[in-house]
Amino acid sequence: MRNRSFAVGAGLVCFVAVVACLAGLLAPFDPMRSNFRLRLAPPSAAHWFGTDHFGRDLFSRVLYGGRVSLEIGFFVVVVTGVAGTLIGALAGYFRALDNPLMRLMDALMAFPAILLAIVVSAVLGASVVNVVLALAVATTPHTARIVRGSVLVVREMEYVEAARALGAGDLRLLFGHVLVNALAPLIVRLSYVFAIAILAEAVLSYIGVGPPPPTPTFGNIIAGGRDFMNTAPWVMIFPGLAIVVSVLGLNLLGDGLRDVLDPRGVRT
Amino acid sequence: MLRFLARRLLASVPVLALVSLLSFGVIWLVPGDPAAAFLDASATPAQLARIRHQLGLDQPFYLQMVSWYERILHGDLGQSILLNRGVAQALWERLPVTLSLAGLALVFAVLLGTTAGLLAAMRHGSWADQSITVLALLGLSVPDFWLGLVLIFAFAVGLGWFPAGGYVPMGQSFWGWWHSIALPAFALAVVQVGFIARMTRSAMLEVLHQDFIRTADAKGLPWSVVVARHGLPNALVPILTVTGIIAGGLLGGAVVIEQVFSLPGIGRLIIDAILSRDFPVIQGGLLFVAVVYLAVNLVVDVLYAVVDPRVRL
Amino acid sequence: MAKWTRRGLLRTGSGLAALGVAPALAQTETPRRGGDVIVAIAQAPPSIDAHLTSASAARDITLHLYETLYARDENGAPVPDLAQGVKVSGDGLSYAFALRSGVKFHNGKTMGPQDVVASIERYRKVGASANLLDAVDTVQATGDSEVTIKLNKVQSTFIDNLSSPRAPIAIYPAEEAAKPVKDFSFIGTGPFKFVEYAPDSHVKLARFADYVPNPNYSKRDGFAGRKEVFVDSATFRFMPEAGARLAALRTGETHIVETVDGPSAKQLQSEAAYKVFKVLPFYLQVAKFNHAQAPCGDVNFRRAVAAALNMEETMAIAFPDIYELNGGWVFGNSPYYTKAGLELYNLADPAKAKALLQKSSYKGETLTFIVDNTREDMDTATDIKEQLGQIGIKIDVKVSDWPTVSKIGFTPNGWHFWTHGFGIEPYEGPATVMSVWVNGISMLKDDPEIDRMFADYTGEMDQGKRREIFARFQTHMYENAVAMQLGNYGLFQVTTAKLKNFVPYRIPRLWGVWLES
Repeated sequence: MRNRSFAVGAGLVCFVAVVACLAGLLAPFDPMRSNFRLRLAPPSAAHWFGTDHFGRDLFSRVLYGGRVSLEIGFFVVVVTGVAGTLIGALAGYFRALDNPLMRLMDALMAFPAILLAIVVSAVLGASVVNVVLALAVATTPHTARIVRGSVLVVREMEYVEAARALGAGDLRLLFGHVLVNALAPLIVRLSYVFAIAILAEAVLSYIGVGPPPPTPTFGNIIAGGRDFMNTAPWVMIFPGLAIVVSVLGLNLLGDGLRDVLDPRGVRT
Repeated sequence: MLRFLARRLLASVPVLALVSLLSFGVIWLVPGDPAAAFLDASATPAQLARIRHQLGLDQPFYLQMVSWYERILHGDLGQSILLNRGVAQALWERLPVTLSLAGLALVFAVLLGTTAGLLAAMRHGSWADQSITVLALLGLSVPDFWLGLVLIFAFAVGLGWFPAGGYVPMGQSFWGWWHSIALPAFALAVVQVGFIARMTRSAMLEVLHQDFIRTADAKGLPWSVVVARHGLPNALVPILTVTGIIAGGLLGGAVVIEQVFSLPGIGRLIIDAILSRDFPVIQGGLLFVAVVYLAVNLVVDVLYAVVDPRVRL
Repeated sequence: MAKWTRRGLLRTGSGLAALGVAPALAQTETPRRGGDVIVAIAQAPPSIDAHLTSASAARDITLHLYETLYARDENGAPVPDLAQGVKVSGDGLSYAFALRSGVKFHNGKTMGPQDVVASIERYRKVGASANLLDAVDTVQATGDSEVTIKLNKVQSTFIDNLSSPRAPIAIYPAEEAAKPVKDFSFIGTGPFKFVEYAPDSHVKLARFADYVPNPNYSKRDGFAGRKEVFVDSATFRFMPEAGARLAALRTGETHIVETVDGPSAKQLQSEAAYKVFKVLPFYLQVAKFNHAQAPCGDVNFRRAVAAALNMEETMAIAFPDIYELNGGWVFGNSPYYTKAGLELYNLADPAKAKALLQKSSYKGETLTFIVDNTREDMDTATDIKEQLGQIGIKIDVKVSDWPTVSKIGFTPNGWHFWTHGFGIEPYEGPATVMSVWVNGISMLKDDPEIDRMFADYTGEMDQGKRREIFARFQTHMYENAVAMQLGNYGLFQVTTAKLKNFVPYRIPRLWGVWLES
């Protein structure tokens, strides 16, 4: 079961990633090109997913949207990874920093993540970069806590004491020995963060604080079509399915990674 | 026990202080203000400035902060700018909606999730187990608002079994209430069902492989009794852990579901306040949600300590 | 101004009877009394104190609760409502309003001149559009049923302002007007009275039993006329989700949906259970330039942009099935409508545009198009961006929510283009349309010619001459491409077929209608 999970997950994710990267080659139409005589056309041989209210080919938009959504997810992972690791490591290793940093993380975690993301997005304004920042703010506290947990465990271990006795400086210890241990749960967490980011970006777009048009993302294609839900449901259905496939792949990947890297680990 | 509680409460104080600072500070960071909501599209800067002055928005920031904290410490969350009533009253009026939504979703999630997880664990390895696992994962992968839209399209517009929006209070009509809340609660629950099912399954699997289970089984007890009396209670502990997290997930998910189904709950109150810049509601609402979340986690921690004495160190 | 003397009143009021216009209801059926009519509107009002807000969601409700001295008729012209008529002094500086008698407030009090004085003074203090009364010097009760307003300068648009439905100068009881704003009880003279207000859910009104419809009219007429209520109560439900509004219509939880998208309206049209109304024109879609930011200060650049655009494409995408290509700065049914300058409307001539662009100071830099996050406005901006991209103008669309956009849009920095709809302005008439461009408010740079034309207009008491001034204004707008009028659009309103005698207007009017069982 475990290997299967990893394999299927990795496979789905690779499929989605490859399709997104090759969007330029695979898309039959220009995703921005409007054709106002062919608005809201149902799926057909020419337009596999139908068209939206600009007359733009939905299949092409979903492909390009995948690229942007995955980009957003990827950068959220990077920012959260860096910030969460930094904060968690500092908090776990230097006792003096633990309390203030963790109280701040607790305070941020007291707000439902999506609400936090919406607030940050409203503050910064709608753009791809700002959405990445907003989602990173929402996911970093938990990541930091996971890293801190690992660091705490390892800090007290004997080989660390031994290394210190041999004269290794704090920072070298931190990065050389302690963090390596935190890597496993961090990687697992980050794969879930990727999934969360894709889902959350869709929510932000729906509320109206996500990446603005005309750049397509999974979320804002759904949001743009919601006025026409009753007569042209395909505008909403296909990007939603695309989200499900991407996130399912990422969740499977996360499960598989967890089974491989961190089966007994910090699990939340 | 009391010392544990006291310690936890004390630890919450700095967090609460930070939470209140964040809740208040948001309005300083967010561009724009509620004056625009009072006027239509071609409002001139002069008209906007006038409304701003009437609303007291041109006061210096630190003064506003001081008076806010003064009010908070007296339990007064202030007056909404756009809703014609106190913030506390607005929250109070909307609480039943969000509670109904989150509560019913929790019930759905726990019932469906634990049943599915148990079934999967007990038939470990069979196709039932595999399909339940996949379905659970699928549930986790679906965007809840999208599911809500699909459900509206299928069951409300298509089949007409449920209304497409709006909330009917339980006091007014039980069936009306049920009708208006069933679909959104289900949409909200789906993500959590997956989560709980997986947790239950793995917790049960762990427990079922332990020695004392084998002993009970060897004693000749029927399998169902073994599971019920020995297996389940032990699996409850990790499920309890998860409840705290689920509370956060439900609160967050409720925010969006309320939007999709036009339910006048707390989530929608806060979102509308953010979009229209109703500052007192944003501040009071964020503070309220955070306090509730912290309180729920405190309760879960206490329950956890009751169930598992090792925690009370 | 001859229209609004006592002579004018006799013409409008009793003239209708003289014309033998049939009484309001004998058209087809007898009205059925009773029932609660439910309207689904897209937004919750920020307040239902009419003075405080010009938000259109508030008007949906306040114009059922309150009335004004003068109100707009079906064509948007001001006619008496709470006033009987007006006598204007020869120098145009003194207006003596004769008030109707026997008008009751919802709390039983009879309306008198003190209430009018108090209400107008309150509006001058807290009114959202207090500038409407800028020319007012004094307001006084000058008789048992007369109020005289003295102006400090001649203003041809004074009655227009008094009757503006935007943030109506509603007449309140003097005691309520004297209370602090937050203690105000929603008491007026309108055909409905206030019952309850659940923000974020609904407002409920009930028929005011002691309401006496204006005896000077025999029919419904805009916001004035004969307002007879047949239903028992009215509920306004706030439903921001378009899909939810439609679904509520289908399940019978609402009788009227204030606005429905084109494709759904088309579908509903074929169903006998519903009536679909195409309310057109209702708005103008305007794209503004920020003249304070280069290259928008350069008239050749602006002309190039205006020449390039195929406005039909933009309107068709943003407002499917509910647009009209009409470049006038007032609506076609206005007495001031003119074709002056319209030969420059909707040129869709990329060649000409490129030539003008060459002459301009545009050097290929990326320009900022700010827009709010409603689908229609975002789509307008997106399509314009694409079209202008074809002639080499690079644009970045920046979407923000309304509070942010409306803040940026009135500052000289951070934007080059901004688009949104103008609804109430073209409805109210040329003065309101022009006032938006006076003192450079909307384009961030003074245009002395517009300022002069506006001053001339408001000082000119002869309607014919005012028409000429407006024609010059419209020509100026086009020749200088001050801003672009992209076209008219409207909205689809849908009601259940059980609702009878409904005629759409600036707001869904709930007097004169009834519900079949």
